[in-house]
Amino acid sequence: MGGGRETIAAVSADEGLRGEAEGCPMKKSFRDFLADLDGAGELRRIKRAVDLRDVSALVNQSPQAMFFEELKDYPGWRLAGGLIGTRKRLALAMGCAEKDVAARFEQGLGRLIEPVMVEAAPCQQVVRMGADVDLAAIPYPLMHLFDGGPYLSGTFVTSKDPEFGRNAGSYRLMYRTPNETGIDLVSPSDMRFYYQRQLDRGRPLEIAVAMGVHPYEMLAASYKAPIDMDEYTVAGSLHGAPVPIVKCKTVDLEVPADAELVLEGELLPIGWTADEGPFGEFSQISGDVKWNPIFRVKCITHRIDPIFYFLQMPWENDWLAAPVTEAAGLRALRNASVQPVAIRAPVGSCGYWTLIASIKKRPGEGKNALLALLSVSEVKLAIVTDEDIDIYNPDDLDWALTFRVQADRDTIIVQGARGKHIDPSIKAWELGKGGLPTTAKLGIDATIPEGVPKQLYKRIQYYGKGRVKLEDYL
Amino acid sequence: MSPTASAIIAAIRARPQQFAELADAHRDVPWPDFLHAWGEVRRANILGRDDNGNYRIEPCEDKA
Repeated sequence: MGGGRETIAAVSADEGLRGEAEGCPMKKSFRDFLADLDGAGELRRIKRAVDLRDVSALVNQSPQAMFFEELKDYPGWRLAGGLIGTRKRLALAMGCAEKDVAARFEQGLGRLIEPVMVEAAPCQQVVRMGADVDLAAIPYPLMHLFDGGPYLSGTFVTSKDPEFGRNAGSYRLMYRTPNETGIDLVSPSDMRFYYQRQLDRGRPLEIAVAMGVHPYEMLAASYKAPIDMDEYTVAGSLHGAPVPIVKCKTVDLEVPADAELVLEGELLPIGWTADEGPFGEFSQISGDVKWNPIFRVKCITHRIDPIFYFLQMPWENDWLAAPVTEAAGLRALRNASVQPVAIRAPVGSCGYWTLIASIKKRPGEGKNALLALLSVSEVKLAIVTDEDIDIYNPDDLDWALTFRVQADRDTIIVQGARGKHIDPSIKAWELGKGGLPTTAKLGIDATIPEGVPKQLYKRIQYYGKGRVKLEDYL
Repeated sequence: MSPTASAIIAAIRARPQQFAELADAHRDVPWPDFLHAWGEVRRANILGRDDNGNYRIEPCEDKA
């Protein structure tokens, strides 16, 4: 590829974004990330006009992220998809080595940077309100065979509560009509809590959906921040620069000024009553029909030359989830005064349900570490090893599980903890509409048991290793 | 109601269908037009769902 940075960056001259932030370092935008991918040979360009119905299958076949320069029936739009399809591309977005993404994210939680308000924003170069709102006029893709409709997935959704302040999260939106979508709000989240508070008063909840933001914003949205923590400050910290924000046109909210596309509107006060789904979930399964609120769109704004972000499920979601889960695990371990060496949220657990950590262990800390890791979100399996185990090597991990674990002494089961609907094993279908599930959690202490001499785990070493060279015999 | 919306309703009335099946049957219709038609069907408020995610039209809902 190469040379693409000029092409993409040339249309990303975000004039006026500094506003009150004049003199502050400029944060990277979605387009800057595309240029980074292009420069690293990780972005495949397609010049031929593509039918939106073919995009999902095409992105799925490409080992690189994809950039479609022309969309059939959507003049002026381009589309980028599969951007965070690997841990390598996630690390590229975060400017660090693959093994360091959790530490890099955790670092971003340490020094929060407030966003700055700007007056004019690229995301509002085109404004459509009232009768001009038409969701069918934006590239609304059909992603998976069993989906209940076309979906938007790479969203950065902002809401506000008078008491708890601004919140940002990521929620999928199923196309219903030119001005209505479904939204998945079944899982516990701050926005669900805000919505419930408004619902109790019989009022709608205003939200603003930004698409085409930098992965740092997506990571911040994925993080289960304390309810009084503004995710915009987390994104700013990750960038090392404030996120420029702009006031919405029709709702009392702000959005990232450099976004590609914004939907403004409100969640109707109807509760969990409208069919939504199935959707190809980040759990890597097709999901089922859920009952959810409806999002009524009052205004659509976008850049004059917008790039639509097609977040490919489940991989992009899973790779985005992993550092967030890992960083939460690191924090939990440190809060428990346990010293972590490495941590991993395997993509097989969707970067979400399993945490494996190696630690510098003192007596009893294998169990302390398990208790800490199992407190993280909906993590339902935690494994702790000593520091000599390479937790990225499945054979090494199996060895520790085999020889350092006695099931009656080294496992912990916690019942009735908070669960997530999309895990079929918790039988969420038995709940009523809007009901919240619980789950059991398992911890396995695969550290050397107290009282067992370490020398019993001395690994085989080959006689003559280092002295005898194979090449001398070839 | 547009011809595409009417065709979608007729198809669901004939048998419950996945959204993708309906989309496949209208590959000749530009995607934005198909989405407009789907919006018409949604607004008719006649759709139900089955456990497999199929769209269906119950006889009691069948006013279109």
